[in-house]
Amino acid sequence: MRDSVYSSKSTYQRRIVALLTEIALEDVGTSTRTHCPYCAFQCGMVVEGAADDPKIRGNAEFPVNKGALCIKGWTAASALNHPERLRSPLMRDADGNLVPVSWDTAMERIVNEFRRTQDDYGADAVGVFGGGSLTNEKSYLMGKFARVALGTANIDYNGRFCMSSAAAASIKAFGIDRGLPFPVADIARAEAILLVGSNASETMPPIMQYFEAQQTNGGRLIVADPRLTATAQRADLHLRLTPGTDAALANGILHILVRDGMIDADYIEAHTEGFAAVRGLVSTYWPERVERITGVSEANLIQAARMLGEARTAMVLTARGTEQQAQGVNNTLSFINIALALGLVGKRNSGYGCLTGQGNGQGGREHGQKADQLPGYRKIDDPAARAHVAAVWGIDPDTLPVPGMSAYELLDSLGQEGGVRSLLVLGSNVVVSAPNAIHVERRLRSLDFLVVSDFFLSETAELADVVLPSAQWAEEAGTMTNLEGRVIMRKKAFEPPPEVRDDMQVICELAERLGKGEYFRYEGAEDVFNELRRASAGGPADYSGISYEKIEANDGVFWPCPDDGHAGTPRMFTEGFATASGRALFHAVQHQQPADPPDSTFPLYLTTGRLLAQYQSGTQTRRVEELVGMAPEATVEVHPTTARVYGLLNGAMARISTRRGDAEFKVRVTANIREDTLFVPFHWGGKGAANRLTNAALDPTSRMPEFKVCGATIEAMD
Amino acid sequence: MAGKQKLVVVGNGMAGARFVEEVLSLGGQEQYDITVFGEEPYGNYNRILLSGVLAGTHDPKDIFINPLSWYEDNDITLHAGVRVIGIDRKSKTAYGAGGLLVPYDKLVVATGSSPFIPMMDGLYRDDGAFKDGVFPFRTLDECTEMVEYAADVGKATVIGGGLLGLEAARGLMNRGLDVDVVHLTPYIMDQQLDASSGDMLKVLLEDMGVKFHLEKMTTSIQGNGRVTGIGFRDGGSLDCEMLVISAGIRPNIDLARMAGLNIRRGILVNDDLSCRNDRDIYAIGECAEHRNKTYGLVAPLWDQARTLAERLTVEKSTSTYTGSKTSTKLKVMGVELAVAGDKEPMNDEDEVVSYVEPNRGVYKKVIIRDGKVAGAILLGDGFTAPRLLQAFDRGEVLPQNRAELLFPLAADGGPALDVEDMPDDAQVCNCNGVSKGKIIAAVDGGCRSLKAVCDATKAGTGCGSCIPQVQAVLELAADGLVAEDPSEHYYVPAIPMTKPELTAAIRLQGLRSVSAVLDTLAGGKEDAASKMGLASLLKTIWADEYEDERDARFINDRVHANIQRDGTFSVVPRIFGGVTSPDELRRLADVAEKYEAKMVKITGGQRIDLLGIPKTHLPDVWQDLKMPSGHAYTKAFRTCKTCVGTDFCRYGVGDSVKLGIEIEKRFQGVESPHKMKLAASGCPRNCAESTTKDLGVVAIEGGKWEIYIGGAAGSRVRKGDVLCIVDSHDDVLKFMGRFMQYYRENAKYLERTYGFVERVGIEHVRSVLIDDSEGICERLDADIQASVDAYKDPWLEAEIPVHPNQFVSVAAGS
Repeated sequence: MRDSVYSSKSTYQRRIVALLTEIALEDVGTSTRTHCPYCAFQCGMVVEGAADDPKIRGNAEFPVNKGALCIKGWTAASALNHPERLRSPLMRDADGNLVPVSWDTAMERIVNEFRRTQDDYGADAVGVFGGGSLTNEKSYLMGKFARVALGTANIDYNGRFCMSSAAAASIKAFGIDRGLPFPVADIARAEAILLVGSNASETMPPIMQYFEAQQTNGGRLIVADPRLTATAQRADLHLRLTPGTDAALANGILHILVRDGMIDADYIEAHTEGFAAVRGLVSTYWPERVERITGVSEANLIQAARMLGEARTAMVLTARGTEQQAQGVNNTLSFINIALALGLVGKRNSGYGCLTGQGNGQGGREHGQKADQLPGYRKIDDPAARAHVAAVWGIDPDTLPVPGMSAYELLDSLGQEGGVRSLLVLGSNVVVSAPNAIHVERRLRSLDFLVVSDFFLSETAELADVVLPSAQWAEEAGTMTNLEGRVIMRKKAFEPPPEVRDDMQVICELAERLGKGEYFRYEGAEDVFNELRRASAGGPADYSGISYEKIEANDGVFWPCPDDGHAGTPRMFTEGFATASGRALFHAVQHQQPADPPDSTFPLYLTTGRLLAQYQSGTQTRRVEELVGMAPEATVEVHPTTARVYGLLNGAMARISTRRGDAEFKVRVTANIREDTLFVPFHWGGKGAANRLTNAALDPTSRMPEFKVCGATIEAMD
Repeated sequence: MAGKQKLVVVGNGMAGARFVEEVLSLGGQEQYDITVFGEEPYGNYNRILLSGVLAGTHDPKDIFINPLSWYEDNDITLHAGVRVIGIDRKSKTAYGAGGLLVPYDKLVVATGSSPFIPMMDGLYRDDGAFKDGVFPFRTLDECTEMVEYAADVGKATVIGGGLLGLEAARGLMNRGLDVDVVHLTPYIMDQQLDASSGDMLKVLLEDMGVKFHLEKMTTSIQGNGRVTGIGFRDGGSLDCEMLVISAGIRPNIDLARMAGLNIRRGILVNDDLSCRNDRDIYAIGECAEHRNKTYGLVAPLWDQARTLAERLTVEKSTSTYTGSKTSTKLKVMGVELAVAGDKEPMNDEDEVVSYVEPNRGVYKKVIIRDGKVAGAILLGDGFTAPRLLQAFDRGEVLPQNRAELLFPLAADGGPALDVEDMPDDAQVCNCNGVSKGKIIAAVDGGCRSLKAVCDATKAGTGCGSCIPQVQAVLELAADGLVAEDPSEHYYVPAIPMTKPELTAAIRLQGLRSVSAVLDTLAGGKEDAASKMGLASLLKTIWADEYEDERDARFINDRVHANIQRDGTFSVVPRIFGGVTSPDELRRLADVAEKYEAKMVKITGGQRIDLLGIPKTHLPDVWQDLKMPSGHAYTKAFRTCKTCVGTDFCRYGVGDSVKLGIEIEKRFQGVESPHKMKLAASGCPRNCAESTTKDLGVVAIEGGKWEIYIGGAAGSRVRKGDVLCIVDSHDDVLKFMGRFMQYYRENAKYLERTYGFVERVGIEHVRSVLIDDSEGICERLDADIQASVDAYKDPWLEAEIPVHPNQFVSVAAGS
């Protein structure tokens, strides 16, 4: 029942449904039903009109967004015919300028450079860097290309900067990682929700209809964030925690739940392991202590625990705020502990989930684009996994490389002894999106050879020796896996411009020229997908029963879906967990200081995040007029008290410094942030790049960099 | 295990055990064989929470940090319940009570502290133990003994009005005791508070029932073997049945003294926490004296434990302990008190900022030294405390305007509720970043309806929560020129017609099915949102000429039962007027057993509900019941509740049972824009609650009936309006039917009678239905009669399903 969310809604909300339906059902000519190019919510949208004047509207029949779109979605077509779009391959000439060349010239150069690098430095000296916005088919091909065509261990992707901590935590606790183990519609039916480190109102606006419905149904929303974000403003309770104190907050809430007898002892006994150690640990997180660490008042801690503990159905949802830290996996585990102690996981309209960020952040981490992974979410160091995938690929398992370097480590190795000397970057703007950006740019410049595939001349492409123009979302077909683990179809509405190619084509041709063409001959995206299905068969993320036809017929299919007759798995953990014992595992997690805490020289906390009108490194959104109008430049949010202490004026420029570098921002004074914290969005390059400041300390398990907290100071610029 | 050094820890309390944890977390078990001595026979527990155990907020088992098994799992030798009686520094050996000899390379003294027991006559029994009922408050055993003892007494005294004494007092009060607190100095918590805040705290606690005796020195304990009271030096005395001594702590340094370590108040340690005269022995915790300070709070202990663990495990560690800033909170429910650092200024340069509001029990004081917080007292303000304590901990640079420390600037919060007060650049729609100014511009540009504004600006098309504000801005900007959004009045979204227009078009063109209507009037648009509304309207118009199409029905209507939370269905047979028979009950019972109904329940509408029937069994259930459908699942006439009426009730003036049955037999199955619940009451006592039903009748004196319409007692409560007063059952049926038909034709889909009557106005309804102002009464009567005649019991479909899969279960998740 698509409308069941609205079963007990106010008049206004019924009007919204009517309104959206009406707008979405207006008369159309030829139209293509596809999905938004941006975040992991993957709103269903309809693209119509001519290629030179495309129109977009929400698809009211897609059960996830139900016709809703945010401003990024509405304006997504502007990038298609943008004047700055790359329309032919570019190569650096003798003067060092990037000039148009033919595909043949570009491809030949790439292959020659890769060969030379591998001859001089070995196979692993060529690296591949992918992205979480690429389709499943591309992600899969990227992994196969690296291992089979290049034979390099060094492939990783920007999803490492996004989802890896939540993914690692879920695997530790539940034995498997799917962002949300339930459909988003369940959100509306949870009596209490703890949302940690997510500003979904800006980063994923259409999902807010479910939180809205949840609250209308009488449910309570708790938001933990150092800022009173647009999302926190809608919450029933805002926990304004000190950056980097997430695990202390979680342990403190669990302390109160234990103390007040609100945990589900029967569930813990029947379905979990390891609670005794957690119970002992949280006895050392009594409210007064947690208040002092987190800055969240005792009263609010108790309120949060009560809301969660007294609800019959409840959810704990995490996002980048808590995950993008050097303690990201532990932080996430500490929140999972709450969900397990309350007996929520596997229970209807309850559970733990993470709100995935990038468009295909979920699918991107399942098909072998990660250094330690093979398709189907298999581990590359598992002999059985190697044998299975090698058989599908028709190669000798022994020729499969070993685990390579994780994203930041790979970037850090560029041009170094024993590191990567030639790099292929696809669908990622690492100069802007990687931490410690000044250093990363220096490393990129030290490469022997850099090739970048993108739609625009991104900051990373500007450094490249060869730039390849790639087809955009509306010009290609393939599948994406949204934050719910629902595999959906991206459809081709238009042909790409004449000299622009689909990445899949490019990868296959490169493989051909590298002499491995026999492994890369496909009839199109569906053919690649069908091979992916076989490669994933039997793995944790099993796609083998998912076909293009089935996706079309069912508004998407939830993995795992192990055979043709299987309807997919909208809700996981109803029958137990994917761990060895079949039980979920608690993890006793101590709060630890951030890697680079504030001190007397850098006395403030710096945290980073996203804005409504921009997306990730801004390669697309910084070129859309409406969006630039809303968010034209990099700003820093400062509390009025702090602004006075540091002599900052609203609207004036200020310089932020950390132990890694400095960057410049326009000051936005707002009392919606903690006095001890600065917030900067990370969508800009150049002097306004937030990641010039951020710390690359990595989580020991997920290798996630610590984007979300470091010591900083700020001064007014003349 | 060759190569490993021997690390011996004397003390398994807050400092000792924490130190061991830190050593383990740094991988120290690779370097050391670890032995721990603890005087108490347990693993380690969180002493901080003992006041919670006393107050009953914490269960003793919830305060254990590491159980005995943890020591085993980590290869730590724990001597629990063994006291160390000596240290031979020459042979580097620790002597445990009972003859245990443990050699060490490094030894950590973490012996903690003991309660200070003032000299008092009569404190001890002859055998040297405390008199019964006298407790120091230090260990878990003492705490549990106190809890047991407190259960049998009514009056307790606490000696010592410090932090712990007050927590003990509050804990005992929680257990129902009268509590007196005796304190030596002129105000309580004098270590942490100044006189003013001490006085205010006293008032707060007195309001809770604690009685204070200040400037009293206790010199004697009364009672023979068991405490019965105490005597003061000034000659006064106080009765009590239980006495808690909480007069401060003394570092446990006897062991160190005997071992010849340098001591003063505590064991003297350097910045690396080693003892002054023995670099292989360290001291941490309450027994240690560092830079002239001993600590009694947990944070410094843990700082020391961390520093020492790093020192002993990390190669070439330079980590040092330079002292801790201390802050604490009083753990007394109902009192918000946080204190940090100094309570008074130290010199003339110190700045003192304070705010006092005695009536609310608010006291805030900050001492600022060199631009940083040197001390703070915050009473009665739990929300400023966290931030101020963090500023103290970190030595933050403070705002020039010191008031901002005591009164942090409030966050801006969400969008202003009153759109008039919003600035033009205030964001109204977050999802699409639409400001108030943008909406005003759209209105100025000619958009005059909500839909037009939303279309033009995209406001409200994301999550939709801002629609009320968008509407408000529109109204404000259009200044009375808001065109009513025509779609507001459409009966269904797919067809741009109001209900009367649509009814006319359907009648005119003879459209008898939902698909025919959509084909003809909506250009063939498939619109799920419109189907159910159309089906309802068509039934009203065409009665038995309506061409039913199953896909225009909600699942409940398709299978004639109510879907439940778990996907099973509920079956409610019709029981006319709530009157049943032994035979019917027997059948119901048999069916409930046969099909394993999960619950059998009397409904609010005087019927019996069989819950938990799987879809596939529905037809069999109906056949076996041999009772008609109660229509509990659809938008239709539901039930007519009755009171006992005239046959049995002593008060009845009208035969409500007979009338109720007549009503129900006549109107069963009549579908309508929303459900209709009815009732008939036999006298004005209104036992069937007729006045809060969609339609209801109440018998009044003289054989007359009052007909009520538009009542509600659900999520909204509304008393119905009297439509008219009539003399006979027949007239009741006539006017009820007339109203029903009028409602069916004119209400919006899903509009209950209470909304409808309010919208149209009772005066108007009366003029149409009673005075026949529009000349339609006769037609209304005829149309409702047609609907009554068209009634078929849907449960007869049990015998011939409409389609083969009608009652087939569908896979979960679809």
